[in-house]
Amino acid sequence: MTLTQNTAAPSRKSAGGVAVPKSLSISAVAVILLASIPLGYLVIRATGSGIAVAAAVIGREKTVTTLITTISLALLVAFFALVIGVSSAWLIQRTNLPFSSLFLVLGTLALAVPSYVSTYAWIALIPNFTGFAAAVLILTLTTAPYVLLAAIAALRRIDATQEESARALGLGPTQVAKRVIWPQSRPTLLAAVLLVLLYVLSDFGAVSLLRVDTFTRVVHTMYKATYDRSAAAVVAMVLVLLAAVLIYAEQRARGRAVAAKSGLGTIRTAAKIDIGNKKYVAVAYLFVLSTASIGVPIYVLVTRFIAVSNDLDISKLVSAAAATVTAALAGALLAMLFAIPLGLLAARYKSKVSTIAESAILVTHALPGVVIGLALVALGSKLGFLYQTLPLLAFAYAVLFLAKAVGSVRTSFARVPRVFDDISHSLGYSNWQTIRKVTIPIAAPGVITGFLLVFLTAMKELPATLMLRPTGFDTLATEIWAATAISQYGKAAPYALLLVLIAALPTYLLSRPDRAQVDQSRENVGL
Amino acid sequence: MTTLRIDGLTVTFANRPVLNELNLVVPAGAFAAVLGPSGCGKTTLLRAIAGFIPPFSGTIRFGEQLVSVSSIVVPPERRKVGYVAQEGALFPHLTVAENIAFGITDNKIKSELVAELLQLIGLSKFANRMPSELSGGQQTRVALARALAPEPKVMLLDEPFSALDAALRDELRAEVSELLKSRKTTTLMVTHDREEALVVADVVALMRDGQILQTGTPAEVYHNPISAEIAISTGDVLLLDSTKDEAGKINSVFTPTQLSPSALPGKLVIRPEEIKITAAATGLSAKVIDLDYYGHDAVVHLDAAGARVDVRIAGPVELKVGDLVGLEHVGPIRWFPN
Repeated sequence: MTLTQNTAAPSRKSAGGVAVPKSLSISAVAVILLASIPLGYLVIRATGSGIAVAAAVIGREKTVTTLITTISLALLVAFFALVIGVSSAWLIQRTNLPFSSLFLVLGTLALAVPSYVSTYAWIALIPNFTGFAAAVLILTLTTAPYVLLAAIAALRRIDATQEESARALGLGPTQVAKRVIWPQSRPTLLAAVLLVLLYVLSDFGAVSLLRVDTFTRVVHTMYKATYDRSAAAVVAMVLVLLAAVLIYAEQRARGRAVAAKSGLGTIRTAAKIDIGNKKYVAVAYLFVLSTASIGVPIYVLVTRFIAVSNDLDISKLVSAAAATVTAALAGALLAMLFAIPLGLLAARYKSKVSTIAESAILVTHALPGVVIGLALVALGSKLGFLYQTLPLLAFAYAVLFLAKAVGSVRTSFARVPRVFDDISHSLGYSNWQTIRKVTIPIAAPGVITGFLLVFLTAMKELPATLMLRPTGFDTLATEIWAATAISQYGKAAPYALLLVLIAALPTYLLSRPDRAQVDQSRENVGL
Repeated sequence: MTTLRIDGLTVTFANRPVLNELNLVVPAGAFAAVLGPSGCGKTTLLRAIAGFIPPFSGTIRFGEQLVSVSSIVVPPERRKVGYVAQEGALFPHLTVAENIAFGITDNKIKSELVAELLQLIGLSKFANRMPSELSGGQQTRVALARALAPEPKVMLLDEPFSALDAALRDELRAEVSELLKSRKTTTLMVTHDREEALVVADVVALMRDGQILQTGTPAEVYHNPISAEIAISTGDVLLLDSTKDEAGKINSVFTPTQLSPSALPGKLVIRPEEIKITAAATGLSAKVIDLDYYGHDAVVHLDAAGARVDVRIAGPVELKVGDLVGLEHVGPIRWFPN
């Protein structure tokens, strides 16, 4: 008879008394350490010349104005995105608006247009399109779909019987909205707004093309212009701290966003409200929004593409597409490799390690692409053999999209109830045999979907790619960037069109709010 | 055939004991039911026997084999236990046949054994179906076959029938207990359904707050409960305020006597079928205040000198609300102090 020593006292075990396999803990810790390299190096660089020097950089007038610009841009965009997102969601979900499902699809598809592509389209259309107001417009159009999807998901989660009960208790429609719908949607909407703020903070493409000095652009400029990367690191740290505050707030908000359903049975959605002739105004409103967010980019991309289609450099387009796929594939594979131990740990074991893992993932979430780029450029130039290599770029993607990858892995593994482990064990299978025969086969489809999402998101990534790609390694994103930066709008069109086409299909499939809950759409699309 | 023996088993979660010095013996080949309300720790008991959770102290033996003694634990995959979870928990990625074959290690007998078990549960035609294509009862049958396949020493059933509708539940649990008894597999089922425990089990163990309070045959625990609480948990009861003196004389509405003031207050525990309704002249007189008609029998609610008395009678029912009748206590005297 074989006996195994059960080392930890049962009372110290997690609920359910499940011990975390050692190999899992070790690989999770290893991933956390690897993923902390960019931030760790950034901290060392930022404080390397002493706190006084760092404080001087923070005290510079330029840093202060950048802070003001960044925060005011983020707040304005969040405000407009909230107003547009919530109003469109209400019109689409709760009124007898004509073409409501079409507007939902258009709103969702807007997520497939990266902010720099959208900016490129507007600049190509309006020559003097630049500056702060332009950035507010572009980023509002880019981020409003997040709020739209969150608001629709929130509205769909509220059971009609709750509203009916409230009406039966004597509340009018406005009272119902105020006392039943709003309190239940608030956490979801708050989380969406925080996500928008985070998006604006980390956006690099739009603000750079529009010449608005937010932190991402300033960090990139400092990195390009000087060899004083310590100062760039200090400014980047300020950005990271801002992002970290938002992540913390977003997690708090998400934690409170609980399902609004009580009792058993399926949710019945409320009847649509007849808004009479106002529906023509509503259609016009949504038409203008859709035109601005998706119509303009599509129009510009297609017309510019037709204009240059005669002397199209196919081989260059193909090689850029191949480079994009290569880098994104390598990054996505590495991200999933990192994510599996962390996601498994987070989904199936409650322990100190999994708590640490979750916080570590959140920290990486607070690192904008430009910050990871800066840290790894600095580190890579120290380690000569990694500088401007594909592995380093893949590593940057892996860290950048780790939170997204872990999210999908965690959701997939959480779908495998613990009772399956118990039964497998009772039928004679060890831990590893159980993972191989039961856990992985059930979780695999979700993990593969997560992999595809990271892959597609990595293809759209701009700042880290710009900073870390090997010399001569041109991706679709960098080609669009390079051509737009020198006002060669026709030249950028084929690349931009290809990128949007690649991104559109999965965005549409995976962000339909009836399939994906808001949590998933938040994890899966965009950021 | 394996005797399951548990001595002084304590399991704690977050320093709170869920099982508290629990003792239980299931004789070899017997079908035992642990009956208790939700939260009493019965699922924890099952999981500790299976080896899914480590006990804090105490021992668990399968026959002569010690599978758990304080900090040294045989892992579940080496215990040879069968485990049927609530709602079956079939692996969704495997067919019915693959689910049943999951625990069979000998490839030579695999297909033969699967076919035999499929026949046993009457699902031979469903071998290649996916679990999602089965009804609840079929899923439970497959889960049982899967657990039986490796010939476990001890079979553990965690409320296997609770998700099924009433008619199917009766049929399936008769089928399952017959199957397990015919194979002489030592079985422990946990349930909160008193009827289920009494109908299927050879041995019923009554559990409260992490301890087994009484063990016995269904008849023993039903007719000779050791407390009023256990009487309530094994069936409907009539609790009558009553006193008892040192000589053992009992004062109740059925046997009104004058007892000394030092007599202990307590409860007389009577089953509804232990009272006979007679013509109005004899016994304790009572008035019918309501009738619950179930078809095969009925429960008559009566008012006997201010005391509410429920009596179960076999149909057909001749009584109607307002009738005056006499009541006679025909069962054993069960008296418990307050």
